[in-house]
Amino acid sequence: MKYLSETALRASALGLALMATTAGAALAEKSVTIGLTADPSHLYPLAGEELSSNIMYYHLYDPLVKRSADLSFGPGLAESWENVDDTTWRFKLREGVKFHNGNDFTAEDVVYTIEKTRESIRPDLVANVASITAVDDHTVEIKTPKPYAVLPNDLAELLILDSEYTEATGDEKMDLEPMGTGPYKLESWIKEEKLTLSANDDYWAGEPKIDTVTFRPITNPATRTAALLTGEVDVIQDLAVRDVDRVKREEGFEVVTRPSLLNVVLAMDTREKSPTIEGDNPMTDRRVREAIARAIDTDAINKIVMNGLATPSDQYVPESHIGYADGMSFREMYPVDIEKAKELMAEAGYPDGFTMTLDATNNRYVNDAQIAQALASMLAKINIDLQLNIMPKSNFWGYIRVPTENSSFIMSGWDVPAGDAGSMYGALFYTRDKKEGYGQVNRGSYSNPELDALVDKADATPSIEERDQYLQEASKLLLNDIPMIPVHYEQDIYAKRDGVTLEPRVDKFIWAYDIDVAE
Amino acid sequence: MFGYLLKRLIQMTLVLWIVSVIVFLMMSFTGDPVFMVVPIDATDAEIAQARRILGLDQSLLVQYGRFITSLVQGDFGNSYVFRQPAMTLILERLPATVEMVLVAMALALAVAIPLGVYAGANPNSRISRTIMAGSLLGISLPGFWVGMVLIFLFAVHWGIFPSSGRGDTAELFGLRISLLTADGWHHIILPAVTLSLATMAILLRMTRAGMMEVGRQDFMKFARAKGATRRDVLYKHGLKNALIPVITIFGLQLGDLIAFATITETIFSWPGMGKLLIDSIYRADRPVIVVYLMLVALIFVVINFLVDIVYTLIDPRITLK
Repeated sequence: MKYLSETALRASALGLALMATTAGAALAEKSVTIGLTADPSHLYPLAGEELSSNIMYYHLYDPLVKRSADLSFGPGLAESWENVDDTTWRFKLREGVKFHNGNDFTAEDVVYTIEKTRESIRPDLVANVASITAVDDHTVEIKTPKPYAVLPNDLAELLILDSEYTEATGDEKMDLEPMGTGPYKLESWIKEEKLTLSANDDYWAGEPKIDTVTFRPITNPATRTAALLTGEVDVIQDLAVRDVDRVKREEGFEVVTRPSLLNVVLAMDTREKSPTIEGDNPMTDRRVREAIARAIDTDAINKIVMNGLATPSDQYVPESHIGYADGMSFREMYPVDIEKAKELMAEAGYPDGFTMTLDATNNRYVNDAQIAQALASMLAKINIDLQLNIMPKSNFWGYIRVPTENSSFIMSGWDVPAGDAGSMYGALFYTRDKKEGYGQVNRGSYSNPELDALVDKADATPSIEERDQYLQEASKLLLNDIPMIPVHYEQDIYAKRDGVTLEPRVDKFIWAYDIDVAE
Repeated sequence: MFGYLLKRLIQMTLVLWIVSVIVFLMMSFTGDPVFMVVPIDATDAEIAQARRILGLDQSLLVQYGRFITSLVQGDFGNSYVFRQPAMTLILERLPATVEMVLVAMALALAVAIPLGVYAGANPNSRISRTIMAGSLLGISLPGFWVGMVLIFLFAVHWGIFPSSGRGDTAELFGLRISLLTADGWHHIILPAVTLSLATMAILLRMTRAGMMEVGRQDFMKFARAKGATRRDVLYKHGLKNALIPVITIFGLQLGDLIAFATITETIFSWPGMGKLLIDSIYRADRPVIVVYLMLVALIFVVINFLVDIVYTLIDPRITLK
């Protein structure tokens, strides 16, 4: 804290001095204030991840590979990369990049970051890196355990640390005194009040357009709206659904929406016996799974529960992803049809339905508890008596955890910011306990050798095209076999005052480097 | 007096210990903190590593033992979520909360005492009835609603006050205080008013009841008969004797507001410590919750002690044993 206020003082003294010298020909300082839903927990990328922290990380640090707003991947701290052989990648690093403290960015920092990550709370970030070596000061060679075509996509989440500074500062202090190569430096951070960033004028991709960015945590949605309308903030994240019309009516403000990556899905247990179902588990029969899919009216959920601010999902991953099966839609394959659903139930031997429990959260997804209630009334139409077991997220993740000893039917969300269906299919649908790192979130105990083989093939090719082919086949197979019902993508809703340009990112990470304000 | 202090100290230690045990036990029901930290598709090995880093790989009893041992050495443990010392997290948010609560309590006293005395002295006047009806509103309106209405009217509609946040602060003894700047006062008014309403209403009603009770006593008539002014009779003779229950409630409310101003803080995004408690409960961040509740217990004990001392000042017949 002391450090922060001291730097703030020193910086403002510097600012005054600058103002004195450039007085007369004063440049207009651009600034923007952004209202977030929560204060970041961390400024040290290896300490943990949640949305507010992620937003800060990408201002302060840079990854080797940059993920752009629309989920395409391009050069970041690495200028270019190539495959030396099936499992070896060579990354050419950008020269002349400096950390905020003036240290040069070199291959040593990349090696250090990867090794440090392995020991941290986030070893998953480097799960596909077997080893790394510095070839020279600005070249590194990364070996993957097996051919892995989307390594660059994974590396977009790995933020590079200054080896010397990080080692000297220590984990606890890194959270308060971050040091990266990113477009912004930390000016001051007053917990729960505001976090101020100032432009890194030497940024390798060009000086940021906005000089000062202030983030304010405003948890209460109505207060966030009020702060926008009173002009205290210029942009807000997560505009409350009920305030959308109000802000639209107001002169000088604009609502910006875009479908998020978060797919709300329903996992069905496919074991012979299921924890909350008496007798044999009907959902082992594909016809029952199809009947459930046909009974769920996602349009009605969107209209009634979500106020039209959701996008019914047509597959398990969005269209932008590797592995999206072209031209297939879950909604067209299984349109809402109660009569057909009842027939299917009768054919499968359950004309009178059965009873089971849905596990869902009440504070994780938009209107999650209400969605659960809507599902119960929809499934009642095909005689499935759906009991609701709704709990806060702090209990939920442990409760539904594989080996899923308590659950038959689970509502949760899944997003893949890496832009690739492979990691999702491997984690959610691969047979459990067959291979380390696969099937660890397979909550429905789905097991299909064909799918396992496709995921294996996708994970064994160094070619992105081939990977896409295998994963598309996997998508087709899954859409036909219905181990899980995709419901909808939530919509990200922002509001801003006129004069601020904001293109929301698919991954939700607001990035001030892309924002501009009118003079 | 010394014996009294010693007794209080022993009581306090006992209370703090019981709080720590209860919270530790309670927290084993609120979910596993490790799942709040790792990504949802984490493998077993990754989860085990996180568990080890957080010190959650031991049994609850061992964890409690470790907690108490380091507590005795002055180390209150680190937050699972923030990975910072729990005590630091709380203390850096404490001044903002205390500041807001003090303004709210001052406001409550300044309004409640005169109005309460008036309403107690003139129970049948029309003004008294209006005051009492108003106090009923103060008790029954929920704080979050009042806060939202104040924001809508004074910030969005009329633009008199800012909607949220703390404003500029100045440093005093290393603490950041917003009461030293005009901008700080500008920001603190709405949340302080919101927070004060319920307490104001309670204190007002207590004062009135006390005044009505005292008003029937003989010494009030004597005071009037010996020629004291009506004002002196009411405030010097009447109020002083009516004050004991009011001070008791004042003390309890003060502790309550410092500990649980959560709702007001959330609505006005006031950077106080109440929000930390709620967030920590959501995230199953046990070290923060334990330290927080122990600190709250301490605050209550200290306030009650001070209230006891104030009793003896107001009423010399009371002694501390």
